[in-house]
Amino acid sequence: MVGVSEVLNTVQMGLAYMVIALPLTLSYRVTQVINFVHIIFITLGAYTVALLGLIGLTNVWIALGIAFLLGGALAVLDNVAVFEPLWRRGSDVLIIMVASLGLWIFYKYLIYAVLDKLFIILRTNTLSVLVRTEGFPSVTLGAVTIDGYLIDTVVTSVVVTLALYLILMKTRIGKAIRAIADNQTLAEISGIPRGRVLNFMWFLAGGTAAVGGVLWALFQTTVTPEIGDQIILQVFSIAVIGGLYSLTKTALGAFIVSGTENIVIAVLHDTFGLPLSFRPFLVFSVLLIVILVWPPLGAGGGLPYRFRIRPRARR
Amino acid sequence: MALDTKAIGLLILGLIIGAAIGYGATAFTGGGGATTPSGGTETAGPQEQQTVTYKIGFTLPLSGQLSSIGKLWEKVAYMAVDDLNKMMASYHLPYRFEAVVLDDGTTEEKALQNVQTFAQQGIKVVIGPAASSQVKAVKSFADSNHIVIISPSSTAPTLAIPNDYIFRNTGSDALQAKALAALVNHEGIKKVVVFYRDDEYGTAFADFFKKEFEALGGQAILLSYASNLADFASEVASLSSKVQSEGAEAVVLISFDTDGANILSHAKDDPVLSKVRWFSGEGIHGASELLQPSLAEWLDSINFLGTRPVFISNPLYEEFKKKFENLTGTDPPVFSEKLYDAVFLAGWAIVRAGTYDGEAIKNALPEVAKHYYGASGWCILDKNGDRAFQDYSIWTIKQVGGEYKYVDIGTYSGGTLTFTESP
Repeated sequence: MVGVSEVLNTVQMGLAYMVIALPLTLSYRVTQVINFVHIIFITLGAYTVALLGLIGLTNVWIALGIAFLLGGALAVLDNVAVFEPLWRRGSDVLIIMVASLGLWIFYKYLIYAVLDKLFIILRTNTLSVLVRTEGFPSVTLGAVTIDGYLIDTVVTSVVVTLALYLILMKTRIGKAIRAIADNQTLAEISGIPRGRVLNFMWFLAGGTAAVGGVLWALFQTTVTPEIGDQIILQVFSIAVIGGLYSLTKTALGAFIVSGTENIVIAVLHDTFGLPLSFRPFLVFSVLLIVILVWPPLGAGGGLPYRFRIRPRARR
Repeated sequence: MALDTKAIGLLILGLIIGAAIGYGATAFTGGGGATTPSGGTETAGPQEQQTVTYKIGFTLPLSGQLSSIGKLWEKVAYMAVDDLNKMMASYHLPYRFEAVVLDDGTTEEKALQNVQTFAQQGIKVVIGPAASSQVKAVKSFADSNHIVIISPSSTAPTLAIPNDYIFRNTGSDALQAKALAALVNHEGIKKVVVFYRDDEYGTAFADFFKKEFEALGGQAILLSYASNLADFASEVASLSSKVQSEGAEAVVLISFDTDGANILSHAKDDPVLSKVRWFSGEGIHGASELLQPSLAEWLDSINFLGTRPVFISNPLYEEFKKKFENLTGTDPPVFSEKLYDAVFLAGWAIVRAGTYDGEAIKNALPEVAKHYYGASGWCILDKNGDRAFQDYSIWTIKQVGGEYKYVDIGTYSGGTLTFTESP
């Protein structure tokens, strides 16, 4: 039987997935680079709220703000220190993607090293932390209790999505980001300062992903240095369902995946006795079905023409 | 302008790399000691005596699922090697040991890779890996290449095999399952759902528990979960409906620490699961998440009980525990005293073998273990190379002096359940 908890889990998980996957699609669409450091933004966000709770700062809104700034700063740092120099030397997007893969592993072990030192300083286990933070209180409606963290998640994800929409659609810089995503050379010829706009876009993407990391931590409640790694396959699946192009389809993908992980598995378990351990298998079956039946990358088997060519000014 | 950004970027990158190198350097000088080129190296000692340094390999879960305890184990490993060297010096023996620690990411593939790396370096004794599934993965390589493996924590009864190169300094779960079944039965519970990891450890434990519990007249329903997930909320939801539909009175949780803490933190908010009794094995014992007030209060209120392998009233354990607490500020995690003793067993087995040869060390180890009593108690092994005598304690979470703590409230020894405090 699908109960209330399955539905509530689907909502909370779906919203967190959405906030994490949207910036991945955004940064891919603008730069055509699949950025593996995205995993680190999630871990960074999750650890921000976990460590703040550990030192007694238990306001979730402060944690969200700090996570946004840290995630954004890290993304800009990556762009300035690694991606831009590579791009200027004419590296292919594939090379930049491999560089992001290297950065991911570098940061991951840096996180382990820092946490190990914090372990000694705080004299408590920092490698597995239970989240302790406070936002809205829990609400009881009849027999159903809606967890405070779920309300925090709903509020945050609505604000973040709305803000992303407004920035991309209604501001000058948003227009500039979209222009670069459509045609980089043309955008530069039109006088759009590519470097600055990209830095802004990375700040937005990194910050949003870190906020997503906080939301995921609120759901998972136990934070380890592997938290980003453990959900990245789902996040990439969601982005692929969105075709790494459409932000609305990405949001939809988030709920398809979380629905599969909570409701579909529960139904199959109850009706056919499918073992619960089939959950990861089910997610990828759904991904496969979705991209076969409804090819997100365009019926022609790829991105629309204007996204396929990558006009690049090589210096 | 472009040059400036580039320079700043490079500077920041340089700082990060510098910090990482600096960190690495302190970590190594902190406990590792300098590396030597081969398995056994001779150096002139202070008293003109030739000392021989042997390497002991460690494959530990420094990242991945068990990293929260693996990182602490690393500290135990260095502490043990240090103490072993002090002991050798105090006996005026010309042997010294050096730890070579590799991270296996709690995966089977990396554990095997690490044992292969050790083999290439000429290392014949490896301590670890942690999980039974990993021990299974390295077994055939270790057997055919004569590498002695001493796992401090693998408990799956399926790995109790005589005459192999796998030694386990802990009792098999066949016995712990019996202790846990006796405990659940003692609490007057007749029907349970066993919620377990679908790996070597969880599956074997669950099967043995079911057998033992049904022999006592109870009924156990098995429900497994994929162990490599980030979050178990949907599994907990299914567990909840299973408990409700079957009318089970309790849940027996067979988990590691982080997955277990995640499961319990979801179960706390579930209307069905928060009302039933919960029991567990040793996998979750010592996890700091369970001591945080929000979770601990609930665990205390439902009278959460677990079993764990210990050697009852052992002064050497208390000494070890105190030393570890002074070093890290936390309680030693599950199996750390077994890891500590495993290092001593390895060291003395090498000394007894008289040669750094896998087969000789394998033959010497059971003899050494027979006469070794350490922080984990008497280490004598059975014919399968596993710990022969193992007591179990009954643990719970209770408020002690205003703070939640792991407390042992009883024992299971020689088939008898004894409570020292009322559960």
